Amino acid sequence: MRPDRRLVVAATCVALYVAVPVLCASNLYLMSMIVAALTIGGIALAWALLGNLGGLVSFGHAAFFGVGSYASALLVMKAGWPIAAALPAAGMVAVLSAVLVLPALRLRGAYFALAVLAYAHIFRIVTTEWTSLTNGAKGLSNIPRFPLIAGFDFASKTGAYLIVLTLVLAFALIYARIRSSHYGLALRAMHESEAATRAVGVNSTLLKAMMLFVSAFMTGVMGAFNAHYINFLEPDYAFSGLWTMLPIVAAIFGGYRTITGPIVGAVVVYLADQLVFKEVMPVGHQIILGALLGLMILRAPDGLLPLLTFRRRTGTILRHA
Amino acid sequence: MTELTLQALWSGVLLGSSYALIALGLAVVFGTMHVINLAHGELVVLAAYVAYTCESQLGLNPLLAIPAAVIVVCAAAALTYLCVDRIAKDRELNSLLLTYGIAVMLTNGVLMLFKADIRSTKSTWLTDAVVMGPLFSMRSEIVFFIVALALMALLWWWLTRTWSGRALRAVASNRDAARLMGIEPRRIELASFVVAGLLAAFAGVAIYSFGVVSPSLGTTLTVKAFVITVLAGMGSIPGVLVGALLLGIVETMTTTFGSSALQELAGMVLFLVVLFVMPNGLFGRART
Repeated sequence: MRPDRRLVVAATCVALYVAVPVLCASNLYLMSMIVAALTIGGIALAWALLGNLGGLVSFGHAAFFGVGSYASALLVMKAGWPIAAALPAAGMVAVLSAVLVLPALRLRGAYFALAVLAYAHIFRIVTTEWTSLTNGAKGLSNIPRFPLIAGFDFASKTGAYLIVLTLVLAFALIYARIRSSHYGLALRAMHESEAATRAVGVNSTLLKAMMLFVSAFMTGVMGAFNAHYINFLEPDYAFSGLWTMLPIVAAIFGGYRTITGPIVGAVVVYLADQLVFKEVMPVGHQIILGALLGLMILRAPDGLLPLLTFRRRTGTILRHA
Repeated sequence: MTELTLQALWSGVLLGSSYALIALGLAVVFGTMHVINLAHGELVVLAAYVAYTCESQLGLNPLLAIPAAVIVVCAAAALTYLCVDRIAKDRELNSLLLTYGIAVMLTNGVLMLFKADIRSTKSTWLTDAVVMGPLFSMRSEIVFFIVALALMALLWWWLTRTWSGRALRAVASNRDAARLMGIEPRRIELASFVVAGLLAAFAGVAIYSFGVVSPSLGTTLTVKAFVITVLAGMGSIPGVLVGALLLGIVETMTTTFGSSALQELAGMVLFLVVLFVMPNGLFGRART
């Protein structure tokens, strides 16, 4: 990392950890919007990781989100785990659920995307019907909140903000590490030609499966975070298609081949949706997000962020790429 | 017990015929363009709401709303094609995201116009019971079963006996070769979308006539149509019929002998079994 870039990262971190809470803490509504936007951002990052590195488009990330949220809530409520241990455990449960998805990797691109959507349906129905464990359609209420540590209340909006921000930044770091590792190199080669990559001895299915696991883990942890933040779960909420749709729009809008794109995209798209579109039309405001997704695919499939930065740096090269 | 089984089989066949219409539309478009139209279920829902509008505003029998539904849905399907056609690169995956966006727009558009309430037909003529020996059904189920059979026969005739239908199959098997034979692939692709829209329009009015619809039904229908095409094996049209009937029967059997809440799960379990055991589907060829 170049020194000037390091400075930018440090300044951004300070701004995110200090300036945002100080400036926005008094406005609880705005703060809750930012927390929700970052939650979407975390899923969007996980979705983009699977899409960019694994070459797999998923329409069922709500499945991993829901599994993670229920896993964490149940571990804390029924098994008495501390929340700090339940969050990563919930991520691992989401990974286990992703193991069930593995046979779908046999299906090619488009079919994989839809198979995961079918899985999301299955998980939602199982959660609804397995009443003895999940309390069924009635849902779980009074899910334990984040605790008070050293006099600071992590259950407050500001506390939740700091937790979700840390999670998202940690995921971004993991993403960057994977991308620059030799796994990332193999994955990029796979993107150019899977057959050639296989020929030099790379197990491409294993690599894809690993990306699916990492993505499921991140999404599961975001679900777990959300469960303890909202304190309430029901199957239709935890497995709602919104947990799939919003991250996709966010990642495509920001640029799913970048790390910052999905996060920035999530904040912009979610805040615009909640603070502007929802005010204008209370019912069906997501029609704008659908239109946005369609327009992005037609006009700028690589997202807005790369468009803004690349055009400045490389001029016309992008057009021929 | 036998009577109950027979009844469940019969209801499953009736239901499956409508599923077949939906899945055939998905399969035809996938065959010609290798594009899965994720807004396909929403097109079906759109037709159902056209029928609802005609019935509640004009007092028309849903059957009479079919022409209006066909026009609206075929236009929507053609618009979808025009959007998909404009995708510059990586069409297989980008078309998924694009049609997903269109699906979100359609769902929310319907939600805006009609609210989230569930709707079903008020026509007693359609919902009256028809008794055939030991078998019960609604009149609408019989009517649309016959309509579905007729449409499938028509589709078969179109695909095998007409120039444009044969051209469609030619494009599906080899786009470039078809082009050299003087076929304009884009017109054929547009035709495949319109045909899919036509089938979806009939299926939508059918579902409105014997079931209930809500704005969020679209995703479920897309998933079901997809499950059927996986059951069938990619690119197998006769397989789609068998897959659709199979899904319909499994669903009604579950409702009869299990619970209606598990109905959707049964289809999904069927999907998983096929995925694990026969990833090429019941009728699919081995993939390269």
